Amino acid sequence: MRLFKRSEALAAGAGLLASVSAPRIPALAAEPILLGWVGPLSPPGGYAAGQEMKWAAQLAVDEINAKGGVMGRPLKVLYEDTKGTPDQGTAAMELLATRHVTAVFGEFHSSVALAESQVAHKYGIPFLGTDVWADKLTGQAYPEFFRVCPCNSLIYTMVGKWAAAAGFKNAAIMQEATDYGQGAVAVLSDIFKQHNIGVNVVTVELNQQDFSPEILRLMNTNPRPDIFMVIVAGAAAYNIIRDACNAGFAPTAQTALYSGGGPALEKELWENDGKCAVNLITEDVTLPKSQWNSIGKKFEAAFVKQFKRAPTGTAMESYDSVGVLAAAIGEAKSTDHKAIISAMEHLKYTGARGTYTFSSNHQPAWAFHQFMSAPVMLVQYSELNQSADVAPILFPRDWATTKYLYARPTA
Amino acid sequence: MTEYFLLQALNGLVTGLIYALIAAGLTIIFSVLKIVNFGHGALYMMGGYAGYYAIHLLGVPPVIAVFVAMAAVYVLGIVFEFLMLRPLYSNKIDRKDEYAIIVTFALFMVLENAAIVAFGPFNKRPPSFAEGAVHVGTLTITYDRLAAAGMAALLLIGISLFMQRTSIGQALDAVSQSRDSAAIIGIDAKRMYAVAFGLGAALAGGAGALIAPIFSLSPTMGDLPSVQAYVIVVLGGMGSVPGSIVGGILLGIVEGLGIGFYPDPNRALVYSNAFGALLLIITLLVRPTGLFGRAHLRME
Repeated sequence: MRLFKRSEALAAGAGLLASVSAPRIPALAAEPILLGWVGPLSPPGGYAAGQEMKWAAQLAVDEINAKGGVMGRPLKVLYEDTKGTPDQGTAAMELLATRHVTAVFGEFHSSVALAESQVAHKYGIPFLGTDVWADKLTGQAYPEFFRVCPCNSLIYTMVGKWAAAAGFKNAAIMQEATDYGQGAVAVLSDIFKQHNIGVNVVTVELNQQDFSPEILRLMNTNPRPDIFMVIVAGAAAYNIIRDACNAGFAPTAQTALYSGGGPALEKELWENDGKCAVNLITEDVTLPKSQWNSIGKKFEAAFVKQFKRAPTGTAMESYDSVGVLAAAIGEAKSTDHKAIISAMEHLKYTGARGTYTFSSNHQPAWAFHQFMSAPVMLVQYSELNQSADVAPILFPRDWATTKYLYARPTA
Repeated sequence: MTEYFLLQALNGLVTGLIYALIAAGLTIIFSVLKIVNFGHGALYMMGGYAGYYAIHLLGVPPVIAVFVAMAAVYVLGIVFEFLMLRPLYSNKIDRKDEYAIIVTFALFMVLENAAIVAFGPFNKRPPSFAEGAVHVGTLTITYDRLAAAGMAALLLIGISLFMQRTSIGQALDAVSQSRDSAAIIGIDAKRMYAVAFGLGAALAGGAGALIAPIFSLSPTMGDLPSVQAYVIVVLGGMGSVPGSIVGGILLGIVEGLGIGFYPDPNRALVYSNAFGALLLIITLLVRPTGLFGRAHLRME
């Protein structure tokens, strides 16, 4: 006599298994909470940064899901490649709206994020900008838009003050023709004007490769610039740095070299520019390593283990973006857009880059929904193949690891 | 001012020689197969990566890596021609021009996106041909640029001699003039099509390997040079290898001087492509067939 049919035995076994495993991984059984991610993963966008952001975001999602998810539901991210173009960004955001995502995060290009923010505003979808620096993104005062990274005004006011304090008198700036580049230079120009620092601005397109004719021209201006600032977020910055170095322009005893926008933080800087990058100054949108909390240290270890490279500040921003949204959904106890926006406005969440809160102030305009304490510091590489997190910190002085404001290369 | 002028002209000449190498390959393909290869920029990019991996995986010196890259891209070109372009030579396809545009454009898209996956999204740079720079007064030019220009010049002389002095070169020229007439004197046109596409691809690949230590490698590195190559091909006269060489050098120098002397320094670099377009417009107004142009035929 058979006590059970085979199918009944299988069902009972499955039920037993489910009951045993359910308390350990409850999130996997529930309907996932859908998040949208937007960013460049293919040309002509900055796909290297996009890829790093995607890696970091997925790392955060996997960690949250391993702990049971949010409200007992796993997070699932729909990754949309925006190719770094506003039209693709708009299309991606429209697509995510049709998928009824709970919130959207990501993006590396300010111009694209501006287009995406219009769609997010139209549908009322919370949109957390990860690494988009143009002031006008938060300056639009859309209730849906929040930003975890510093904006141009926060970054370049500090850079301008540093340049003035370091005694530079005549700056040459190569800016990319984007909302980021032009916005950054507008901030810098204002600060330089206040300190009587001369400015000579040159505009470049991101797809250009040979910058030597313009560098020769800048080098031959009178008076010769004492600082050359490259405000280019794309990989074109590597060519500019090398062209400036090979021409004997910068970094030299006469002219300092500054690179903004992120490419100087990637380890590829050394393969592409080698010794030309020694003495290069750049900004890093993270905390000094000495101030990293346990979350930051754990994230770095996991990132290095999985991707065989140290995470940049951009990767940390992406990692924290997921944490911020997960915390907001948890606080709201809902996937309703308005509830999440409200939760984000009152959120206090500690991630790898510090404790996040979002300003409700409209003065200045860019402050609205901006993470005002977003860390940013200036470092100057002092040796070949140095990692940004161990490079000497020049500014702000509270975090500085050097007595000097700028180490002039020897002739 | 004279030194500055010379420096910009010299810099433009170096860039122009690389342009000429890319354009010469495009011209050979166009003159023999009568198609515009929209995948040329991707072949240039593949040459750069082939040289990089030849250095890092095979341990060959950078100069030898250029020839390894040319060989690798030659094979890639031959395989592509065999798999995708052979239908052009039959009557199976009605719209040959459109077919050629689509498959070569697909080649570009596939290679560029495959490169992101295969080689990674981060820029790479092979070792220099020679570290350092030449300084004469205020004139400074790196050994890498000089080496790239010198090797490009040698390759251009080599390809010119090959086209004029060898039986294969003359056979390519014969097929470019008339496939049927060439067949009458015993030339295998299909073989020449494969050779032409492979040769054109190899020149693009060689240019990519030469430029890699100067501009770095990225999956999108071929986008802009391929556009400039089309300008040069029209400028030099469609189908003319000497025309593409002269056109490439001319374009490089005009761009260098244009950027160096444009009255608004703020916008000069952004207008670099406009200087080339202006040169093209003026040339076509004076000589509608380009500098060395001749009437051309469609694929028979």
